[in-house]
Amino acid sequence: MSDAGVVRLLLFRVGSLVCAAEAERVREILPRLQPTRIPGAPPVVAGVVNVRGTLVTVVEGWRALRQPEPSADGGGGEGGSGTTVLLEVGGGKKVLGFTVDEVVDLVSVGGEALERRQALPGIDPTLVRAVGRLAGQLFVVLDTDALLTPILSS
Amino acid sequence: MDLSQYAELFLAESREHLSACNQLLLEWERSPANLAPVGGLFRAVHTVKGMAATMGYARVTELAHRAENLLDLLRRGGRPATDEVLQLLFRARDALEQAVELSVVGREDEIDVAEVVADLDGAAAQLGRGGEGGGGIGARTTPVPAPAPAVETPATAGRLVQVTLRAEAPLKGGRALLAIKKAQAVGPVRAVTPPESAFEADEFDGRFSFRIGGGAGVAEIERAVRAAGDVEHVTVGGEERRAAPGAGGPSAAPETKSRHIRVDLGRLDSLMDLIGELVTVRGRLNDLAAYARDPAIDDVAIQVSRLSRELQAEIIQARMTPVWQVFDRFPRLVRDLARELGKQVAFRVEGKEIELDRAILDELGDPLLHLLRNAVDHGVEPLAERRRRGKKPEAEIVLAAVRERASVAISVSDDGRGIDRKKILERAKRDGVVDPHAEALTDDQLLRVLARPGFSTAEAVTSVSGRGVGIDVAVTRIRALGGSIDIRSEEGKGTTFVMRLPVTLAIVRALIAGVGAERYALPLTYVAETVEFGVQATTIVEGREAIVLRDRVVPLVHLRRLLGVSGDAPTRCPIIVLEMGERTSGIVVDGMLGQQEIVVKGFDAPHGTLPVFSGATIMGDGVPALILDAGGLL
Repeated sequence: MSDAGVVRLLLFRVGSLVCAAEAERVREILPRLQPTRIPGAPPVVAGVVNVRGTLVTVVEGWRALRQPEPSADGGGGEGGSGTTVLLEVGGGKKVLGFTVDEVVDLVSVGGEALERRQALPGIDPTLVRAVGRLAGQLFVVLDTDALLTPILSS
Repeated sequence: MDLSQYAELFLAESREHLSACNQLLLEWERSPANLAPVGGLFRAVHTVKGMAATMGYARVTELAHRAENLLDLLRRGGRPATDEVLQLLFRARDALEQAVELSVVGREDEIDVAEVVADLDGAAAQLGRGGEGGGGIGARTTPVPAPAPAVETPATAGRLVQVTLRAEAPLKGGRALLAIKKAQAVGPVRAVTPPESAFEADEFDGRFSFRIGGGAGVAEIERAVRAAGDVEHVTVGGEERRAAPGAGGPSAAPETKSRHIRVDLGRLDSLMDLIGELVTVRGRLNDLAAYARDPAIDDVAIQVSRLSRELQAEIIQARMTPVWQVFDRFPRLVRDLARELGKQVAFRVEGKEIELDRAILDELGDPLLHLLRNAVDHGVEPLAERRRRGKKPEAEIVLAAVRERASVAISVSDDGRGIDRKKILERAKRDGVVDPHAEALTDDQLLRVLARPGFSTAEAVTSVSGRGVGIDVAVTRIRALGGSIDIRSEEGKGTTFVMRLPVTLAIVRALIAGVGAERYALPLTYVAETVEFGVQATTIVEGREAIVLRDRVVPLVHLRRLLGVSGDAPTRCPIIVLEMGERTSGIVVDGMLGQQEIVVKGFDAPHGTLPVFSGATIMGDGVPALILDAGGLL
């Protein structure tokens, strides 16, 4: 993410947080898919889902960002969040699913609209790449690699 | 004109020829007086030389040329090979291999062949002197093209030149390009048919034509074209206007024998993925048909099932590769290692033609390398020790592949000293791997101790007890492939490692077991039978719950507990009995949901994932189910 250039960001909501991921890391946006539990995996992993014949491991967004569990009716899914965002991690080598409550918007913002990493209450600062503001709404640009890579075994 | 697209083909074919050289050299070394392998060696090196020249790899060409000279002298000299010459040829082959590999990746400059070339020339010179007048040190041995009849016809707007390459010529496309390049040196070339872009196609059969301008004579043109090599037939002049330029491709190839083409592995993989999808959809269709109870739909479902099964069998067959493709490099390796260690080893390979899925075979090289290295280094005793024990000086190492039910067993055995169990037992006790009161190690425990990562490197156990290096690597790799390793070792008599592997990884028949609301697939490869729990009396053996089945103790694994499924198990439930070599285990599940073909897929396992899964599959309803790995459960 360059400081000056324009960045395209996908904005989504997880609990009370509005987060953003670089659009070029977003492979696809899918409705919630029924995950199969992976025994032994940490609770943050929802399981593995079938995306048109490819198996994708899905991370539960609200757990990863320490947000309250979405209510069954609010999120639109069965006791989980309503949408799965497929994100490339590790330079596109792997794709992981990340559940969010809803996708808010796809925006292009200039580098000047983003502030480099900034401490925010309620979120681990190592997961924050930058903080931005759009129409008065504060959002957190996530370091998706930092968030997702540690979940996978080597 | 770009030749780089042929680099891969060149590499593949050169590797084949160089691998053949290894086999031939080993054969020659075994009986130096038998000169039969020399002709084959000569031809292999000659072919590599020709291909390298086409590609413009000067150092490979140079090296191959010198080796070819020496081989030619040896071939004509008719004398047994000296050890010195054989070692030199081994060295030359290795240098050639390195040169080929580096040239292909554009690092030809890094190769220094001067020393080998000098040695080859030296040897050739010696032979030349000693031999009956031997025509020449470094004399060209390639036949000079026979001069063509000098029938001159008046120069026209362009002579039609028709060329047919030798049917067995490798890299026909590259050769054709080269022929055109050579022709351009004597006159302007146009109307190349088929167009140059078609030369790289699989269908290109080595026939092409072009028009050449300028005043060059027939003989000159023919000589230029023939200089490209591998040219079967050239017609210059246009008297034989069978195929007018531009009028479509060459006529169909006359050969009707079974023909082979090279197919990129990636294509086979994607075919396999597609058939996997088809199998999944087929499952869904069958579910729907069962639900709809419409005979017409049933009919279609049955047909689709049959067709996809046949297609699947064909594709799996296309992926099957004989084990010699990996085994063939081992005779040389064992020989080199034995020589280095001053040991005599007779190495035998059995079951070379047994086939395995390419994906599995590709993973086997490393584990086998470790096991063979161990066998030569630590298994086989030094000469003096063998004599003392009254064994024949030449040790025997056997690498064998055998088909067993749905799996293939590959074994590495030696007749060496066997493993010193007492030493290993002491060590195992100290490490807490076995009960401190244990008196002996079973084969199974022995393997478990040896396979502990780091066990080998610590305290030079290898030099004392004779085993260890790389066993952990081999065990891990084989398990990852859904296979198992067993060990049998008898002190003073030798050691055998047996690896059992599924024939294919891609599609397997599996039992679908239910545990709570979850489903798991268990490949049938290692399923011996199923029995009912609750009817069988259970006992406790070595602290583990077990059942006794026809006098065999089968320890139980409760899948529900192992996988942390909540809720209570039914009072009566099936036990799936797994058998892998000597080991057996009973897997207690809640219920059996049937048997079906599953497509094995990988998934990104999060850290902490229990090490009992070999992948996952997609069930008929589109929801994934994890595949249990028999090796992990045992």
